[in-house]
Amino acid sequence: MTVPLVETLSLVKEYTVGGGIVHAIAGVSLAIARGEFVAIMGASGSGKSTFMNMIGCLDVPSSGDVRIDGTATSAMDSDALAELRNSKIGFVFQQFNLLPRTTALDNVAVPLIYAGVGRAERQERARKKLEAMGLGERLDHSPAKLSGGQQQRVAIARALVTEPLLLLADEPTGALDSQTSEEIMHLFQTLNDAGNTIILVTHEREIADHAARRITFRDGKVIEDAPVTDRRLVRA
Amino acid sequence: MTSRVRKAASRAAFNLGIALTALRVNLMRSILTTLGVSIGVFAVVLAVAVGSGAQVSVMGAINSLGSNMAIVFPVPDDESGGAVAERGRLTMRDAVSIERQIEGVTAIAPQLRANVQIVSGGRNASTEAIGVTPGYAVVTNAATETGRFISDADVRTAGRTIVLGRTVVSKLFGDYDPIGETVRVNKVPFTVVGVLEAKGSNLGEDSDDVALVPISAARQRFTSDLPLGPDDLRVLFVGIEDGVNLGKVKREISRLLRDRYRVREGQGSPFIIRTTEEFMEESAMVTGIFQAVLVAIASISLLVGGIGIMNIMLVSVTERTREIGLRMALGAKRSDIRNQFLVEAAVLCMIGGAIGLLLAIGAAAVFQAQADFPVPIGVGTAIGAILFSAVVGLLFGGWPAIRASRLSPIEALRTE
Repeated sequence: MTVPLVETLSLVKEYTVGGGIVHAIAGVSLAIARGEFVAIMGASGSGKSTFMNMIGCLDVPSSGDVRIDGTATSAMDSDALAELRNSKIGFVFQQFNLLPRTTALDNVAVPLIYAGVGRAERQERARKKLEAMGLGERLDHSPAKLSGGQQQRVAIARALVTEPLLLLADEPTGALDSQTSEEIMHLFQTLNDAGNTIILVTHEREIADHAARRITFRDGKVIEDAPVTDRRLVRA
Repeated sequence: MTSRVRKAASRAAFNLGIALTALRVNLMRSILTTLGVSIGVFAVVLAVAVGSGAQVSVMGAINSLGSNMAIVFPVPDDESGGAVAERGRLTMRDAVSIERQIEGVTAIAPQLRANVQIVSGGRNASTEAIGVTPGYAVVTNAATETGRFISDADVRTAGRTIVLGRTVVSKLFGDYDPIGETVRVNKVPFTVVGVLEAKGSNLGEDSDDVALVPISAARQRFTSDLPLGPDDLRVLFVGIEDGVNLGKVKREISRLLRDRYRVREGQGSPFIIRTTEEFMEESAMVTGIFQAVLVAIASISLLVGGIGIMNIMLVSVTERTREIGLRMALGAKRSDIRNQFLVEAAVLCMIGGAIGLLLAIGAAAVFQAQADFPVPIGVGTAIGAILFSAVVGLLFGGWPAIRASRLSPIEALRTE
């Protein structure tokens, strides 16, 4: 049996709010294998984002553990977690989170700096990723000169530039119109077809249905975990 | 190992790039923040320069006395108290025995001094007349611009010859060459035989406001009202060879004089001996304290500038919390975030320091031209100012930078 790429073991996240304890995640154990395309669904406050942040090692669980590629993360210090995020996880955010007044090329190259890659190789790898995203003509554009869809493509290029094992996308279409959303989802499907493991957080059923597996959260617990039966496959 | 070094260098270069971009983006704010550091560095550099200038001036004053020498003078009556063998005195015979018996002595310059009024034509000048022997020229490096110095024959015959300092010549004759003219010194006619080379002024004291006459003539004409014995001196300069231990010569002169005056063991000496070395050390100490006080006061403005830097860095960290979260998500370690803000603060301060340094160099040039007082800004001071600015940046940027690095990635990312 192969090791799951992501595995959570009795994952709990609690917050103390006004003297009481709120369970954002109340004991979640699940596994995601390499090559999967998973959508995590749920209403606002269901715990889906908290779950994603812990899988992405941005947030630490109150108890339980997250294993990435078979490695337990609960004992890691902040530097080890930073290295893990850098080498194994690519993030895509709702608000793109590109550095302003910085070219697309330099934005994409940022993770490679923290990986210690030399300047020439950084530029080369960032350029290739942007070209793969169809942005070969926009290398020197700052985010302000790009459309929302283009900005999200730059962000996806940045997430992929370190060749991570896992792509985490938090509401990646939340700031885009429906047509651009479709384009971005098509891009994710293409990336998944090429072997990338993708975990996507969304509150929209239509977006979630682009994935192959749908996990639904409510009140910090998984209430449904099933393959998407009527999957929306975008044809270019 | 080399790959680690390359990694570190790559990250450092990158941090510098981020810092410069951040500073450019908030250009106006950067300039205003920098101003505080500029003023601080300006004040500190000027303080150091004025302090060094004072040092240079004092050393110049001491050097203009002559190179290596000991100055011997009798303890004034009122200071000797009852502890000395007899009233302090120093005679020509003492001077001669010092010259003959002590090794390393190049020449002696026994002196009498009196304030006199010199009149020529309708003009007059108040100055100090010094009764000297030819040895004075040797010991004090004095030379004549025109004419000759006081000669042995002048001293032997108590000749009424006089050598004038530049300032006195200007007062009495203007540009006219006074050699051969007769001047009246306290109503006694003297013939001008020479004019001294100008030595300039030191610490407000004009070294050229002086007139030299034979010591014998001074004794006869100007010091008759003073309670001096027929052979007494007011002061004796002892010229000493280069490379000779001044402390040793001083002890030998002291022993010689104590023997001559039969001062018993444990009794205070009736004379005081000072060497140029001691003058140097003392003035170095005094000007050093002067400089330290100036720099301490100036440092307060740099402190204020540093607090400005800290303030603006805290604002910068708060404004860019989301960016910090993003960088952490992309793999930045805490040390990367910390260094990014440290570099930003250091660069900001170094730019401020450079501006302050340039202002100080300009001010020093103006000051020097106006006040005729040296205000040297050395290369060391310049480099020191820039490095010190960087240290201010690291010090005051340190807390904001550490605060930034301690942020939790997810909380930073969530910040709007």
